Amino acid sequence: MNIHADVEHRGKVLKFTPENDAELNIPDDELHEHLFRPSTDRTRRLKERCRWKHASAGEFINKDVTAGIERMRLLTEAHKKSDGKPEVIRRALGLKNILDNCTLVVQEDEFIVGYHAEDPNMFPLYPELTPLAVDDYLMSDYAPQPVKEAAEINEYWRPHSLLAKCQGYFDPTDLQRMFQVSSMEAPAFATGYNSIVPPYETVLEDGLLERIRLAEENIAHARAEMEKTPWDGTKGLDWIDKIDNWTAMVIACKAVIGWARRHARLCRIIAENFETDPKRREELLEIADICHRVPAEPCRGIKDAFQAKWFTYLICHAIERYASGYAQLEDRLLWPYYQISVHDRSFQPMSHEEVVELVEMERLKVAEHGAGKSRAYREIFPGSNDLFILTVGGTLPDGSDACNDMTDAILEAARNIRTTEPSIVFRYSPVAREKTLKLVFECIRDGLGYPSIMHEGIGVAQMKEYAQYSLTGNGATDEEAHSWANVLCMSPGLTGRRKTQKTRTEGGGSFFPAKILEITLNNGYDWSYADMQLGPETGHAKDFKTFEDLWDAYVEQYRYATSLCIRAKDVSRYFENRYLQAPFVSAIDDGCMELGMDANALSEQPNPWHDPVTTIVAANSLVAMKKLIFEDKKYTMEQLFEALRANWEGHEEMRKDFKAAPKWGNDDDYADALIKRFYEEVIGGELAKITNYSGGPVKPVGQAVGLYMEVGTRTGPTPDGRFGGEAADDGGISPYMGTDKKGPTAVLKSVSKVQKNQKANLLNQRLSVPVMRSSYGFPIWAAYMKTWYDLGIDHVQFNVVSTEEMKAAQKEPEKHQDLIVRVSGYSARFVDIPTYGQNTIISRTEQEFGSGDLEFLGVEL
Amino acid sequence: METCKGCKYFFAIPEDADDYEDGKGDCVKQKTDEKGKFWLSKPIFESGPRCEAFSA
Repeated sequence: MNIHADVEHRGKVLKFTPENDAELNIPDDELHEHLFRPSTDRTRRLKERCRWKHASAGEFINKDVTAGIERMRLLTEAHKKSDGKPEVIRRALGLKNILDNCTLVVQEDEFIVGYHAEDPNMFPLYPELTPLAVDDYLMSDYAPQPVKEAAEINEYWRPHSLLAKCQGYFDPTDLQRMFQVSSMEAPAFATGYNSIVPPYETVLEDGLLERIRLAEENIAHARAEMEKTPWDGTKGLDWIDKIDNWTAMVIACKAVIGWARRHARLCRIIAENFETDPKRREELLEIADICHRVPAEPCRGIKDAFQAKWFTYLICHAIERYASGYAQLEDRLLWPYYQISVHDRSFQPMSHEEVVELVEMERLKVAEHGAGKSRAYREIFPGSNDLFILTVGGTLPDGSDACNDMTDAILEAARNIRTTEPSIVFRYSPVAREKTLKLVFECIRDGLGYPSIMHEGIGVAQMKEYAQYSLTGNGATDEEAHSWANVLCMSPGLTGRRKTQKTRTEGGGSFFPAKILEITLNNGYDWSYADMQLGPETGHAKDFKTFEDLWDAYVEQYRYATSLCIRAKDVSRYFENRYLQAPFVSAIDDGCMELGMDANALSEQPNPWHDPVTTIVAANSLVAMKKLIFEDKKYTMEQLFEALRANWEGHEEMRKDFKAAPKWGNDDDYADALIKRFYEEVIGGELAKITNYSGGPVKPVGQAVGLYMEVGTRTGPTPDGRFGGEAADDGGISPYMGTDKKGPTAVLKSVSKVQKNQKANLLNQRLSVPVMRSSYGFPIWAAYMKTWYDLGIDHVQFNVVSTEEMKAAQKEPEKHQDLIVRVSGYSARFVDIPTYGQNTIISRTEQEFGSGDLEFLGVEL
Repeated sequence: METCKGCKYFFAIPEDADDYEDGKGDCVKQKTDEKGKFWLSKPIFESGPRCEAFSA
C-alpha cells in the first residue's frame, strides 16, 4: 500500500501506515474491492442481483432497462374519461386509475416491497410534464412498447402538457437561448425535471385513514359554511376550490391505501401458492400484514415505518409525478419507531443489527429505482440512476446533539453495503457525538464520497432567515428550523408535517457563469457552441477600457440570464398550480389540509435558489484578465480575444501566463479578494434582487453535478487558460482541478472568505488515502471538520480514492465494480462514468497534510 | 372458450377488499430472469380471454 511521507508535528514524527495491518498486503489498486461487508447473506444476495439503472453518457448501462408504458397509458385513459371535471379531481382520478390498475412487482428476498413500473427492469414516463422527454425515449433503444401506442399517448399530451401551457408566455428567442443549455438550463416546463420533500411525518404518525377523515371533516365544514345565511359571495366562493382540493385528497389517499393493500394480497398469494421455503413464507405473510396496515394506519414499529416511507416515496417521486431526490431527515423520522422496536421491543421487536439490515435493504431498493428522465438529465448525472440524497445528524431545538442510534444504523449500513445511492448528508455540529462522527469518517475513509457535510449553524439560520419572507406569515418557527434536510445535493429545506418544498420551481435549476463570461467578451454572442446571440448586446472585448467596463457588461448579461431562469420557473409554477396538482402530496401536508390548497400552490416557507455551475472558471478568468490586461497591461483585450478564438493555438506563451495567473483555493489575497466580490456582489448579490413566487430573494446554491463536464464541453476557451471543451470546475466553490497547490488548509481559508448572499456552495476535496487509513486519519479529519465549522464554510465532501486504483479501473473495469467516487453532489461507480468524467476526478488535487496544515488545524495526537 | 376464471394464476379478490368487484381477480405470474425470481400481479376479470400464460 502507498505510504504517505512522514510528517513532523509538535515534536512527533507521524508515520502514515494503515490502521488495519491487513491492508498492508492489499495492492493500492484494488483496495475498494475489499471493503464490501454486507451485514447478512440476504443483503449480499440483494446487492449481487441489484437491477442497477445507472446511465453513462446518457445511455443505460444495463441493456435490459427500458421505459414502461403502463403509467402513461393509465394516466391518459383517466384524463380522457375525466374531461369536464375540475382539474385537481382529474389529477386525483389519474392517480387512482394508475394505482387501481397497475402491475405490482414483488421480488425474491426483499422485505420492503413496492415498485413504480410494470417490470423491475422498467421505469415510468411522464408525458403530462413534457412530451419532449418522451420523444427522446421513442427514438431510443429504451422506448416503451408498443412504440406506436406510446407515440399516440405522447401526441395526446402535447397540447395538454406543462410545456404547451407555458411556452406562449415567452419570447421564442429567449426560449431558443434556454434550449441551448450553455448559458442557462432549459426551462422547467420543457425538462420535466423536478424535486420534492414529502411530508413523510404525517403518513407515519397519522396514517392515511386519518388524513381522509380530516379532509372529509373539512368538506363537511365547507359545505356548512356555504349554506349559511345571509350568503356572502366575496367569501363563500372561496370554498369551491377548497372542496375540490379536499375531495381530490380523499380520492388520492383511498387509492394509495388500496394500492398498498393490493401488495398485501400479492404477498399473501405468493406465500400461499408459490413460496416453498417456510421461513420466507412466514416473512411474506408478515409483509402482507404490514402492507395491509400501513400507510392506512399509523406506524407502530420500525418495519411499518420503512414500508410506509417507501410507499410514500414511490407515490411522491415516481407515480403521482416525477421528482428526483430522497429528501428526508431519516434518522429523526425513524427514531420513534427504532425506540419502539429496538429499545422497548413492544412492537416488531428487533436488534440494532437487524435495523442495519433493513437500512441496507432500503438502500438497495433505491439503487434499483429507475427514473424516466430525458437524455439531457441522464447525461448530467453520469454513473447514477438519479439524485437520491437523505440527511442525518444536526441538532435538536434546544441545541443538543440530534444524533441517535438510528443515525448510526444508517451510517453503518451505508458503510457495509457500498451502494452509490442514496447519498447521505451529515449535518455537522460541534456537539455531534464521537461515536457517530467515527461512522461518518469510516464511510468517507472507505471512499463512498458521502456523507457530504453541511454546516448545522448555517442551515438552521437559513431556515429562520427564509421564514421572514413567508407570504403567509407562517414560515419556519425557531423549533422547526432545526428540522432541515437537503432538498437535493446541496440546498437545505424544511422537513416535517408542513412547509416543505413541493416542486423544483421553488428552488433548483442552473445557469452557467463561465459561458456568460464567454459571451460577455463577444457582445452576447456564443461563437464557440450555439453560434447565436445568447444575451443582450453589451459590447465586445475590445470595448472594455477598464475592468469595471467588463464587470458591468458581465452583470448585465447575468441579470438577463438569471431573471429569465427564475421567470421560467415561476410561470411553470403558475401552471403547475392549475394543471399539475398533487392531491396525494397535498393530503399529507398539514398546511394544504388545513387550507384546502394544492401542494404546488401553497408556499409557507420560501426556499428559492438557483445553481450557478462553472463559477470558478469565470472567477479565475476575471482574475487573470484584471491582472494581465488591466493592471500589468501585458496583453490587450483584443489579443486575448484573438487567442481565445484560436483556442490558444499559436498563443501558447500567452496561455501559460493566463494559466499561471493567481487561482482560487490557494489563500492568495489577490485572487480571493476579487473572487469574493464576484460571489457576493454578482453571483449572490444580483441573484438576491430577484423575488420568486414565494416572496423570497433567490440565492445561489453553487454546485455542479455532472454539469461541469457537460457544460464544460459547451464552453469555449476561457481566460483562466482553459482550452475550449475542457471540463469546468467540479463544485460550486471548489478550486479548479489541479490548481489548488497550497494544501488543504489554504483551500479552507480561501473558501471561508465568501460569506454574503450565498445559500450553499459545494466544496469537493480529495484527501490522501494513506493519511485517512492510518491511525491518525480520524483525529486529523476531526480537527479538519472542527476548523471547517469554525471558519463558517457551509459544505464539504470528500473523495478518498487513489489515482492508482482509478487508473487500474480504467484498464480493467470488470475488476472494479465496487469502486465508488464522489462526482459532485452525488457518488457514482467509477466504472460507470465516461472516461472524460473519470479523468476529471483523477485530475483533482489529492490533498496531503503537511506540518503547517496540521498546526493550523490544531491536530491533537 | 376458456377464460381467466379457469386459470390457476387467477385469484379472486375477497369481498372485503377495497377493490372488490364481482368477477374481479388478481392475475399473479411468477417470472425468472438472470437477476432472480419475481412476481407480477395485475387486476383482471374472470371473464377475460385466456392468455398465453394460461394454466389450468
